[in-house]
Amino acid sequence: MIKSFRIKNQDAPDKVQNFLPAAGKEETVMLYVKELYKTYAAGKTKYQVLNGIDFHVAQGEFVAVMGPSGSGKTTLLNCISCYIPFDKGNIRLGGMELAGMNEDELARVRNTKIGFVFQDFMLLDGLTVRENVLVPRIVQGEAGKEAEKLADQLAAMFGIGHILDKYPAEISGGEKQRAAVARSLINNPLIILADEPTGNLDSKSGRAVIESFIHAKEKMNATIFMVTHDSFAASFCDRVILLKDGMIYRQLEKAKERGEFQEQLLDAIKKMGQEDII
Amino acid sequence: MISMMNMEQKLRRADRKQSRLYLFCNFMALMIISAYSALMLSPTVQKVFPEGGDSAKQMHMIFVMTLIGCVVFTIYALGLFFRHKSGQLGILMALGASRKRLAPGLFREVIVLSGASAIVGTAAGFPFVWIIWHAFRLLLVDSSDMVLTFDFRCLFVSLLFLLLVVGFACLTAWRYLKKTNIMEVIREEHINEPVKELGRWCGPVGFLLILTGAVLGYGAPWACHAWFHMFPPAWVSIFYAPVFVGLYMVMLHTVVHGWKSHRKNPYKNIISRSMMKFQGKQTVNNLLVVTLLVAGGCFAIFYLPTNAVSALVHYASQPYDYFYQYQADQNIPDRETVEMLGREYGLSFKDWKECSCVTLGIGGMDEIYEEDGLRYHVEYVPMLQEARVLSEDAYRALTGQEADVKPGTYMSLTDREETSLYANSSAREITNMVTRKQLATEFAGFLHYDLLAKEIPCCVLDNEDYAAISEGLTDEWRGQFAAFNVDGEDSYPFANAFYRLFVSSFDDSCARPSYYDRVQKIRENETGKEYWGDTDDMTTISYELSDSFAFRQFWVYQPDFRILNQNDYMRSMAVMLMMFLFIFLVCMITALVVCYTRCQSIALNNRYIFDDLKKLGASPAFLDREVRSQCGNVFRVPSLVGTSAMFLLYSMILYANDGRMLPTEWMAMGVCLCVTAVIGGVIYAVYRSTVKSIKGQLGIA
Repeated sequence: MIKSFRIKNQDAPDKVQNFLPAAGKEETVMLYVKELYKTYAAGKTKYQVLNGIDFHVAQGEFVAVMGPSGSGKTTLLNCISCYIPFDKGNIRLGGMELAGMNEDELARVRNTKIGFVFQDFMLLDGLTVRENVLVPRIVQGEAGKEAEKLADQLAAMFGIGHILDKYPAEISGGEKQRAAVARSLINNPLIILADEPTGNLDSKSGRAVIESFIHAKEKMNATIFMVTHDSFAASFCDRVILLKDGMIYRQLEKAKERGEFQEQLLDAIKKMGQEDII
Repeated sequence: MISMMNMEQKLRRADRKQSRLYLFCNFMALMIISAYSALMLSPTVQKVFPEGGDSAKQMHMIFVMTLIGCVVFTIYALGLFFRHKSGQLGILMALGASRKRLAPGLFREVIVLSGASAIVGTAAGFPFVWIIWHAFRLLLVDSSDMVLTFDFRCLFVSLLFLLLVVGFACLTAWRYLKKTNIMEVIREEHINEPVKELGRWCGPVGFLLILTGAVLGYGAPWACHAWFHMFPPAWVSIFYAPVFVGLYMVMLHTVVHGWKSHRKNPYKNIISRSMMKFQGKQTVNNLLVVTLLVAGGCFAIFYLPTNAVSALVHYASQPYDYFYQYQADQNIPDRETVEMLGREYGLSFKDWKECSCVTLGIGGMDEIYEEDGLRYHVEYVPMLQEARVLSEDAYRALTGQEADVKPGTYMSLTDREETSLYANSSAREITNMVTRKQLATEFAGFLHYDLLAKEIPCCVLDNEDYAAISEGLTDEWRGQFAAFNVDGEDSYPFANAFYRLFVSSFDDSCARPSYYDRVQKIRENETGKEYWGDTDDMTTISYELSDSFAFRQFWVYQPDFRILNQNDYMRSMAVMLMMFLFIFLVCMITALVVCYTRCQSIALNNRYIFDDLKKLGASPAFLDREVRSQCGNVFRVPSLVGTSAMFLLYSMILYANDGRMLPTEWMAMGVCLCVTAVIGGVIYAVYRSTVKSIKGQLGIA
């Protein structure tokens, strides 16, 4: 049973009895997703992309979502981050129900409770790296000296302190993504949502980004929910959710060795693919 | 501390390239509209273009086409601006900026950009007109009519357009802020806008609709008259609507299918074809705007040759070098005085002809307005209008033509082609306006003599009928015709001196236009009504302005001096001709700017495709072909459709005027064809230069 909610943010979660994690797990629940449905319409045809998804993520947990193209990974992430509306279901973040919130409340959630890392970085070209990291604070209206100091600390933590005054066009892809990770943490959010954060990077830069996530998790107790195709990146996670046809196919817990976990992931993915052939 | 406003300012600075494009497009649109309306509504043009006349209608019609073009163009530019802006807006929304947080900055930006560009564009319209007009005066033709003055009420048109631009910009900003799907906002820049496809039938059907619309639109006013006895109301222009639907379908066909068969080589130009198809909405809109503008430009420029050829051929073919008429009570230089003046210029004259005529009241069918002011019925009116009347003998003496007019009948004068609008063929009696004696008469056919087929109908009576009916007429109803040729080569200075002497010989009683009808005035006054010509400014004629367009076009005794008319044609028609030349320039400049901008945006938006093609090993020649194919479609199709449509429309108008093509009309269309070739050459040169610029931007050798 849940003992307590240890949320860094001041918004304490309310009752969440309806969306309890598996019995016996004693952890602080950060994200609950219950019976989530989403369809897309293309002309007169409707496509069911999410087909009743249930899962939870604990605070400080690093969870990856994997699955073939079209399985609904990115749609799931976009629904959680309130970027796109969903049809049916419940999403609770830090105890707050997202469905039914108005535009202003959703904007506040996106600004203060969620940090988002996009596949293609989504840095603003006209701003320096430091300013980009500070954007969520600027939007909040609190980009003062203290925020600048925090931005510098985050940059130093992720090894981009030397490029703070450069513009996105002047830095590498890996550096851009680490700047995006720093930006996602500037408001000390409840969760970081990352959509294929290593997808556009070479292996060295990809590794640096994953390490920055691990660093955030270890040093700041950050909760990270990452969509990825990369089994190597996923093998650093505590748990991996495999999605197929808009439903959870399987969940795998972290093994002792990272390499062993990656093998398990590859086997599971292979098996999932073979079922289709059969 | 970095504030939201600081950040937005910085982002705006970084985006100045996109802003510049939007500013430029808005500026151009407003400058064009402001310049066009400033000139169109200027007193300089207003006093020359007869109200409700065909020329004024053409000028207004092209203005509407240009207006539509500019509206679509500014909407397109705004769309481009927001497509780029949406990425930035989406990121800020994704990072938690609410609508309320983004709205002030966004609205400030669009209002400042659209407002400032619109205001500067509107203001620039005036110097733009001034420079072009004075360039015309300096390089082409100048006259007292061409002194340019503005009526600043024209700003009302620009103001409306300005409000439309700013209002639409704010509406678009609001629409973006209202979007709930943030990912859609972020990706908007990269989302293609494929146009809804129709089958390969849409092109041919489009051409059919264009043709149908042209026939219906042109025929509707005629049908109003002929079938419903109705003056065509403004809404009958709606019958031209199929033309626009047809144009859209033709452009759609161009974008979706292209006009070349790809069966033999389906992969030829596949990149440019698919690029066009997947940015279809923008492309179709652009092609449509350019087609309208090219068509408007051609419609304006074709006015010049069709008018000039007809006038110059008419002057060249007139049988006398000098032909004039005057009222008998005027002290006009006699033959001796004219010959003496001629000698001063080393000229001698031959073929002197003089004959007298009278002005009588003639009956005829008139269109009488119903109470609704729209419909009319045709009714016979005994004293309908003035008519110049000659006897058989006088007509023979003046023209050298035989006229066998039976007693109790009359023959009407028309031109060689029988196209005269004013010939009377429905009179039942002729009235002496002094004695009120009436002569019963009957129409007995037409006589053909161009110089007598004028605004005031001219008739020939049997000698005895003429003598009987003209008895008791005072000098103000009597007149004289005179004509002569120069023995040898004519002299413009003489013609000019004689013209000035001739005009200065008339007193104020003759200072009236040809459409001021003395018979109608008497008729109205006798029934206690006031004649419209006594209250309207339009009937004011001043001898001091004897070189003006209005005087030479409408003075009731304007003489036909061949060399004077030939030499002064440009000068007396200057305002009209230059107005149409200006419209042509404005339309073509706008069309070329739209084409250039469209090609530029193709280069900007599809840069990555060309980069990918390079990586895939595409040769410079292949890339060159794709760029040419893409730009070629933007320039070629609207130019071809626009010029061809107008060429056909003009041919149709000339044919439908009288159900045939006259030699002068064939000549005019030949000149129009040459003009079209020149326009094609200019468009091709701009196309070449655009391709060169784009290749430079895309780094294609």
